[in-house]
Amino acid sequence: MRRVMVIDARRCVGCEACVVACKTENHVPDGAYRDWVVQETRGEYPSLELTIQSQRCNHCSNAPCVANCPTGASHYRGDGTVQVDRDKCTGCRACIASCPYGARYVAPEGHVEKCTLCVHRLDRGKPTACEEVCPTSAIATGDRGDRGSVVALRLRRGTASVVTPEAGTEPNVSYVR
Amino acid sequence: MLPLFRFVTSSLRSMLRGGRSYYIWIAFLLAWIALGGAAYLHQLRVGFVATNLVDHVPWGAYIANFTYLVGMAAGAVMLVIPAYVYHDHALHDVVVLGELLAVAVLTMCLMFVMVDIGRPDRIWHFIRFNWPVSMLTWDVIVLNGYLALNAYITGYILFTKFCGRTPERKKYVPFVFLAIGWAVSIHTVTAFLYSGMGARPHWNAAILAPRFLASAFAAGPSLMIIALTIVRDKMGFPLKDEALNRLRQIVAVTMLINLFFFFSEIFTELYSFKHHAASMRYLLFGLHGHTTLVPYIWSAVALDVFAAIVFTTKALYRRPAVLHAGCAAAIVGVWVEKGMGLVIPGFVPSPLGEVVDYIPSFTEFCVSAGIWATGALIYTLLLKAAVPIELGTSRLEPEAAS
Repeated sequence: MRRVMVIDARRCVGCEACVVACKTENHVPDGAYRDWVVQETRGEYPSLELTIQSQRCNHCSNAPCVANCPTGASHYRGDGTVQVDRDKCTGCRACIASCPYGARYVAPEGHVEKCTLCVHRLDRGKPTACEEVCPTSAIATGDRGDRGSVVALRLRRGTASVVTPEAGTEPNVSYVR
Repeated sequence: MLPLFRFVTSSLRSMLRGGRSYYIWIAFLLAWIALGGAAYLHQLRVGFVATNLVDHVPWGAYIANFTYLVGMAAGAVMLVIPAYVYHDHALHDVVVLGELLAVAVLTMCLMFVMVDIGRPDRIWHFIRFNWPVSMLTWDVIVLNGYLALNAYITGYILFTKFCGRTPERKKYVPFVFLAIGWAVSIHTVTAFLYSGMGARPHWNAAILAPRFLASAFAAGPSLMIIALTIVRDKMGFPLKDEALNRLRQIVAVTMLINLFFFFSEIFTELYSFKHHAASMRYLLFGLHGHTTLVPYIWSAVALDVFAAIVFTTKALYRRPAVLHAGCAAAIVGVWVEKGMGLVIPGFVPSPLGEVVDYIPSFTEFCVSAGIWATGALIYTLLLKAAVPIELGTSRLEPEAAS
């Protein structure tokens, strides 16, 4: 199984419900976020184009955080997601320094945390917290190998892009337009 | 076991012996250590909120000092190379004193890592090696290895001399040569830790490791010049002027190379003015009105240039006071340029484009000062124990030896 997230950027309205849902579901501490919404306006008035993206850890296939972690606390899970084992984390923050997306933060207990792709929910057959509350169904999570899944259908449209592709991290979170 | 026991007790006795100025110096260091210890306890109690570190700038004063000190430890090899590779007799006499500096400085490095990771028990997590991909794992291995090597070499030489024997070359010279390569490796690995991070364009430069070594080989010998002068004047160590002159020559060359590397980096970043130059612009001129680091980096450049002028101008370096001012300028200049001047701009702007200024909190300042004082205390005590053995005044009594 290869879990991926595919976000339909045309549907996203920037309501930030995903941000609030994640904070509640994962007890994200004050001042920290596991996902966030980036709004970018391009062009000159009146020909303006607005892009809205709900961003998070990209669960990269070539993750610099996993390479840089001195203890293997940041690791690939069998399903393709990147996870942090808090019992192995030294708190050295090399992963934060190496992440091109600013996806990680230090928890009050001293270990590093980030988006887990809600694997605790996915494993029980439930959608991620952000996916569940998204009012426009912009967010979809699933198995890339399952041809009938929403993520596979969206990826087959062939217009998928990733954040900061020049970092060479091979993200598993894609955006379609 | 008896000679070893005598070696330890005799060394401890040497450490406790000293004049009024020695005790004032020790009391001064202990006061800073106490302040640093109290600040560290405060940090342990309230957490990293006591520091000014944030998720945007997760590495600050502690890692900046760590990076600089790894270089200082590697710089000690600059005494060893001329002594053992080129058979420079003047430096041969002081090699042990240089390697003791490496021992003291590496202890400081490990202390800076310990305070930086928060809870001290997490240091044990480093035992789970993510080898060979993680540069931090390499750093843990090479730093501890270098500490062990230097502790062995100095311990062996001093102990055999204490016992009245001549150290056997085959028992330490191979390790000396290993330590030479190892010294280059510790600072290269530390540089690779930074330059391997593709997410931080400011560090993602091939010049970083060579620049690290050049600046380390300028700051390390500068500190040795001051330390050796003190050992000569205060402890009667028969130091040849030739040894100091050789170190002066080394700093003259390495400081010029360091400035050239720094200039090459500035040129590459700023001439094409690509967006990756934002960090360098933040460092040198400020970005979006944030100019926190600007006065520091230009002071560092001025100090480096001043040191380079002193070390290359005969009329200046012949006067001890000016030479020592040049040494101090090299030590402080490289400390700013390679410490805060390198670490902080790597995080600015953040991946999402935010500019977050960082200056160390009072707690970070006190903890850092406490660690520096601890290093100075360790080096002072090691010198107090080693110099009498090198001079031949501290020896195992004949009946104990038999």
